[in-house]
Formats: sequence, structure tokens, C-alpha cells
Amino acid sequence: MKIKFLIKNLNIILSVIMILLCLAFLFIIDANNGSNKYLITIIEKSLVYAVVALSMNLVIGFTGLFSLGQAGFMAIGAYITAIFTIPIKFRESIYYVEGINADLATMTLPIPIAIILGGLVAAIIAAIIGIPILTLKSDYLAIATLGLSEIIRAVIASPMMNTITNGSYGLKRIPSFSGVLECFIYCGICILLMALVINSSYGRDFKAIREDEVAARAVGIDIFKAKEISFVISSFFAGVAGGLLAMFMRSIESRTFSVNLTYEILLIVVLGGIGSITGSIIGSFVVNIGKEALRVFDKPFTIFGFMVDWPIFREGFRMVIFSILLMVVVLFFKKGIMGGKEFTFDNIIKFFKKKGEKHE
Amino acid sequence: MSEKILQLSSMGIKFGGIVAIDELNLEVNEKEIVAIIGPNGAGKTTAFNCITGIYTPTSGDIYYLGRSILNVKPERITALGIARTFQNIRLFKELTVFENVIIALHLRYKDNLFTSTFKLNFKKEEEKIKEAEKLLKSQNLYKYKDEISQSLSYGLQRRLEIARALATKPKLLLLDEPAAGMNPQETNELTEYIKRIRDEYDVSILLIEHHMDLVMDISDKIYVIDFGKLIAEGTSKEIQNNDKVIKAYLGEEENA
Repeated sequence: MKIKFLIKNLNIILSVIMILLCLAFLFIIDANNGSNKYLITIIEKSLVYAVVALSMNLVIGFTGLFSLGQAGFMAIGAYITAIFTIPIKFRESIYYVEGINADLATMTLPIPIAIILGGLVAAIIAAIIGIPILTLKSDYLAIATLGLSEIIRAVIASPMMNTITNGSYGLKRIPSFSGVLECFIYCGICILLMALVINSSYGRDFKAIREDEVAARAVGIDIFKAKEISFVISSFFAGVAGGLLAMFMRSIESRTFSVNLTYEILLIVVLGGIGSITGSIIGSFVVNIGKEALRVFDKPFTIFGFMVDWPIFREGFRMVIFSILLMVVVLFFKKGIMGGKEFTFDNIIKFFKKKGEKHE
Repeated sequence: MSEKILQLSSMGIKFGGIVAIDELNLEVNEKEIVAIIGPNGAGKTTAFNCITGIYTPTSGDIYYLGRSILNVKPERITALGIARTFQNIRLFKELTVFENVIIALHLRYKDNLFTSTFKLNFKKEEEKIKEAEKLLKSQNLYKYKDEISQSLSYGLQRRLEIARALATKPKLLLLDEPAAGMNPQETNELTEYIKRIRDEYDVSILLIEHHMDLVMDISDKIYVIDFGKLIAEGTSKEIQNNDKVIKAYLGEEENA
């Protein structure tokens, strides 16, 4: 009886154990944060990127809307978080150009509230702009959202916003996470919420729209409403992730949120697997760890006692190798690492069972 | 007289200068099986697209249960009780058989985002799962429940598409060439199958079909269109003996 119960819920039990192990691991590195600074940086960055990647996957991978506006919504979240959380005593020195807007000068919000506010503003803007642009199809939607993202960035950087966003001078001294554990909790909540939406009946509607819009309407799905919901949720979490990114980087400027950021996230989404929640998370870690691990190729290195000092192994060469690896991955795993499937213990058990059957 | 489910009154549609359908009058009564036949390009599928709101007719009117459904959006028309299948099967290809059916049930089990996200609607969800399973069992698709719908055989895909349409609990079911690509034996089975779903689910059926045996066998009434114009209507006997029809349509087949 007991064993049966265990087997039935093996997936849940193993997942809980895994999460607890993660927490324990993070707790340990948090405790020794002096010696693990580098590791902490990589983990925090990967976690924040995983949130954005999943928010992008929600529209692109699950709803089939090719939206490239993520960086813009992140900028909104990042700036709102920064504006409301930078300690008052530093503000004067940061806004040294034209001074700070008098109403904002003494206004602060607790960090979680500032982050949520950032997400909400991003969501409201997405809701308004979604009405005209979500009727567009594929490439046209991509261009429209890309344009939107650039407009947001340009507005933030404009001199007229100097007293609010500090224009093109950027914002500094944003309070950071107290430790990697805090970052994990924020990101974990975001990922969990998005996973719940994706697995709800709304998530199924999104997938139906991705598969076939005409058929989706024929079974009574209000595709416009569903697209709008998906776009707004995605933008909300992009805004929240922007706030988290601001906390991670501690200083932001409008250039941080250029189109390049969107492409970087798109890369994670595609690499991890379009339409896979765990794919986006794995993709984020693979890309961020990969970029760091390849740093050895940025300078002459020793292998098996031999010194390799070819002139190509200089600053920036890791990106060449990284790009080649990406191409290899995309060639051999056409649908990304996870290919639309999920990484769950159930699937792993199934996988091994099938293999076992084949051998017999 | 039984109730009129669908009535097209001199409905027409033009694309630019081309008249795709001209003055089409058509009626479907309760629990009737009505067929539209005609050569390729006659405007049959266009008529379906008008009824389901994908196209808006440029003249005339469409009444469903006595109410005009002109300018009603496709998803609202489905909600009112008109479901359809497509000539070139349109399933949610990468989703499982089960998901295909349960998605069609969302229409009748409305959720809000909050309860749905936090699984507070689990009772509704259970009902949905039960109903989807029941529907799949009645269509003999239950054993394929977890298969990706794209991987099913052609005949099964057609049946799944009908099951998905039935999940919206329609009063009128539009079938666009249900026998396309089926062999004679499968076609024979389809005859029984269509009659069975009419009786089991209390639906009226309007179908487009090229298989004459099938059409003659099951239709209570047949409409023949050619070049967007209605050229004949009546029972299968009347149609078989109609000169115009023989000339325009059946005659060609006899010569061939």
C-alpha cells in the first residue's frame, strides 16, 4: 500500500527532493558567499534570464505569437524598480544632471512591491498596445513589437525624462539581492506562476491557437481575448524580470535594454525548446554557464601540459566557439534541447522503461 | 412541421468582381441530414464559411433558429450551436487526442483565469475530463487518448475532428467532405456513423460530399450548386432524375 503510493507520486516526491536539494545547495553557497561570488553571479543571472525566457516562451512557444518586445517590457520593470528602491541618500548624486523630480525624490517602496508595480505597468502598456497589434500575423507582429520595444527604450533615454529616468546617464546603486536564495525565491515564484498558467485551461487555449487559429475559433475560443491574456501575462513577467535584472546588475542604463537583449533571450528560448517550460530554464543555464566556461579560450591556455598559444585564442574568441556550438545544437536538435517536451521525473522514468523494453 | 434550424435566404457573396455564391436559398430542419453537392469550385465550402462566420455574405441573410447570424464572429456562432469540420482536416496537430477534445469543452465550462491557474476549478476540470473521456469512448477513440493527433490514421483524424465538433454540443453540424480520402469500406461505415451521431447527439447535419453513394444513401434533402448558383433541390430520387443536374454534374461522371 505504502509502496504503491510512493510509486504513484514518485514524480512529485522526486521533484520536491530536487527542489530541497537546490535550496540546500544555494544555502551552502550563500553561507560562503565570499569564496563563491563568481558562482553566485552566474546562478543569479541564469535564474533571472530563465524568468524572461519563460515569459517569452509563453507568447512565442505556447501561443504562437512571434513577439519580440521583451526587452522593452523589461526596461519598464527595471526602471520602475530602480526609481522606487534606490536609497534616498544616494539619489541626489545619481541624478546629478538635472536633479530628481520633486515628487519622486523621497518616495520609496519595499522591493517586492516595486517589482510587482513594474510588472503591472508593463502589463498595462501591453494590454493597450495589444489591442491594435495582436491582430497582426507572424513577421508583422515581430516588427511591431520590436518597434514598441525600441520606442520604450527611446522614451526612457530621452532628455525630457532626465528627472525621472536620468535619461541616458542610467541609474546606479540599486539594492541587490540579500543572497542567491532570495533571487531563487523570486524567480521560483515567477516560474511557478507561469507554469500554472500554461497548465491551466487557458494554457490549453493558447496551445490550440498556436496549432491552428481557424480551428480554435471553430471550437469557440475567443482568440483575440486569449492572445491578449497571453501577451499581458508575458509582459507582466517580463517587467518583473526586468526588476530582478536591475537588482542583479545594480546599475542600469537604457542601452542595457536594446534589441540585443531580446535576441539573447530568444536564443535561450530556441535553444531550450520552443514550447517547453523546463527547456527555457535549462536553456538559460546552458547559455549563461556556457559563455563563462568558454572564457578559457579568450587567452592562451594549457592542455595536457602543452601550452596552446595560437593567435586566435584572444579576447572575444569564446563567442566564436559559442556560436559554432549553437549552430551544432540547432542542427542536431532541430527543436532545441527539450523539443517541446518537459523535463519531469515521470518522463525520465518512461524514457528508461522504453529503453529497457527495447533491450529485452 | 419540425423546427427550422438553419435558413439561408438568397444569400450571396462576391469576392471583388467574382460572384462566388449567388442567391442561395437553403433550409435545414431539425434532425435532418442535408447534403450540398456540386462540381469542384461550385462554392460549397464558401457557403460553409459564410454560415460559420469566416466570411460575411454580401447579400441576403442567414437565420439560425429564426435569428439572423450575419456579422456574428465565428467563435460566437460555435457558442450558439453550429460546429463544423474542415475539408483539409484541421486538428490541433501537435496536441494529444484528449487535449483536442477537452479544448472544445472549454466553451461550455467557462473558467476565469484565477481559478483556472490555481486549480480552484478542479471539480469542473474533473467533469470536463469525464465528459471528454465519455465522448472519446463513444467515438472509439479512447485507446488513442494520449497519442499526438497528427500521428493518427486519416480516417481516425476525421473521426477525431467530428468528436471535437460534437464536444461543443452543437444543434447543427457542418461536415465538409467527411469521406474524402476514404476507401469504399470506410465510406460505407461512415454512412452508419453519420446516422448514429445524428440520433445519439440530436444534431441536424449539413454536409458537402462528392461520394454520390453516400449522399444518396443518407440525405433527406439534397441541394445542387454549380458556379455559385442553386440548380436543383429535392430528395435523392428527384435529384437523380433532374435533367439539369445530370447535365451539370452527374452526366459528366457517366460519360467519364
